[in-house]
Amino acid sequence: MSMILANGLRTHVQSLRAVDPQGPAPLVVCVHGLGYDSLASFYLTLAPPLAESGLDVLTYDLRGHGRSERPNQGYRLGDFVEDLTAVLAENGDDRRIHLIGNSFGGTVALSYAARNPERVASVVAIEAEPATARWVERMGGTMRDVIEAMDDEYYLDWVGRNFGSHYQRLTRVAAAVIRSTTLIEDVAADPPLTEQEVAAIACPVLSVVGGEGFQAEEPMAMQALLPSCRTVVIPDQGHSVLVERHHALRGPLLDWIAELEPEWTPRTGDRTGSPGDRAGSRAS
Amino acid sequence: MTPVPAPTEAQVLDDLRAVIREILQMEPDDDFAIEADASLTDELGLESIDLVNIGAGLSERYGEAVNLAVYLADQEIDDVIKLTVGALAEFVLDALAVAAASGASGASGASGASAASSAGE
Repeated sequence: MSMILANGLRTHVQSLRAVDPQGPAPLVVCVHGLGYDSLASFYLTLAPPLAESGLDVLTYDLRGHGRSERPNQGYRLGDFVEDLTAVLAENGDDRRIHLIGNSFGGTVALSYAARNPERVASVVAIEAEPATARWVERMGGTMRDVIEAMDDEYYLDWVGRNFGSHYQRLTRVAAAVIRSTTLIEDVAADPPLTEQEVAAIACPVLSVVGGEGFQAEEPMAMQALLPSCRTVVIPDQGHSVLVERHHALRGPLLDWIAELEPEWTPRTGDRTGSPGDRAGSRAS
Repeated sequence: MTPVPAPTEAQVLDDLRAVIREILQMEPDDDFAIEADASLTDELGLESIDLVNIGAGLSERYGEAVNLAVYLADQEIDDVIKLTVGALAEFVLDALAVAAASGASGASGASGASAASSAGE
C-alpha cells in the first residue's frame, strides 16, 4: 500500500504506469466520489485499461475514505481541492493533467480546474456538476436526507432487499464515515463558485451522465454553463455510471484524450480491446 | 539453475487465506476457516478497497504477471461481487500458466497443472 503525506494527512495513492506508450504518455488523475466510494472504483474499472492503452494513471483515496486518514473534521469542498493540490505536488510531476472525477470527485476536479487552469488539460466529469449555487443547494438537501436514512434500519433493510447485501454493507460503511466525521455538515458549506470562477473553467470538459442519473432532468446543464463542454449520455443508466458501465466509457475516454493529445495515440494490442476479446485470449 | 516450480492450487489458496486473514485482522489463534467457495464480499465482508490490497499482495508474491486489477476491470460488477476465494486462486494459476507459456517466467506449467489437479479441496 502506497501512503504519502498530503495536506497533513496520510493519503493512500495508487499509480499505474503507462504500458508501452505511443508518444509522450499523458497523465490522468482520478478522483472518486463520497460515501462508500474509494479509489477502488477507478482502480478496478477504468484505471487498468487506461494504463494498458498508454496513459499514466494516478488515483488516491479522498480524506475519510478508503485507506486514507479519516480526520474528524475538515470536509468542505475546499479541503478536498487542497488535498488534490497537495497530492499532485507530492507526485512531483509538472505535466498538465486530465482529471477524471466521479460524482463529488467531478465537482472537486472542476473546482480545482477553476483555481488552477494552467495545470489542467481537461476534465471528465462522470455524473457530476460544478459547485454552483444549484449544486450547493441540492447537495445540502441530499446530505440531510442521507443522515436521516442512515439512522433508519428500515432504510438499510430496503437497500438490502432492493440492491442486495453488498450494497447494504456499503451503506453501513458510508454511515460509519458520516457518523464519525463532520462530512455531512461540511461538504456543501463552502460558498458556491462565483461567475468568474465558473468562467475560469476554460479547459475542455467531457460530461458523462446516466440517462436516469442525477442529471436526468437536465442532462445538458453543464454544457449550457461551460462553453467548452461536450456531453455523453449513457442511456438506461442511473448514477453508478463508473462502476456499472465502465466498459462503455473506455472508448469515449480514450478518444477524448487522443483528440486533446495529438502526439499520443492509444496503444492497441492483444492486452486491450473488448472484455470479451480479452477473456477469450486469456482462456486460450 | 532449476526453474521455480509453479505453485499448486493448495499453495495459492493458503497464500490467499494468509492475505485475507491479514486484511480482516484475524488473530493468529482464530480458527475461522476461509473456505474456497466463500465469496469475498458477501461472506468474508471484504470491501472493494480490500481487493486493491489483495491485488498488490498477489503481484508482490507472484510477480507482475498476476495483475488482479486488469482481471477485475474486465468483469462486470455483479461478477466482482460474487468472486470467491477459489475463483481468485484459479485466476492466479491461469495468469501464471499464461506467463509460463509465453516465456515470461521459468515456472513449470506442466508440473503446476498436475499438482493442482490433485490438490483440490
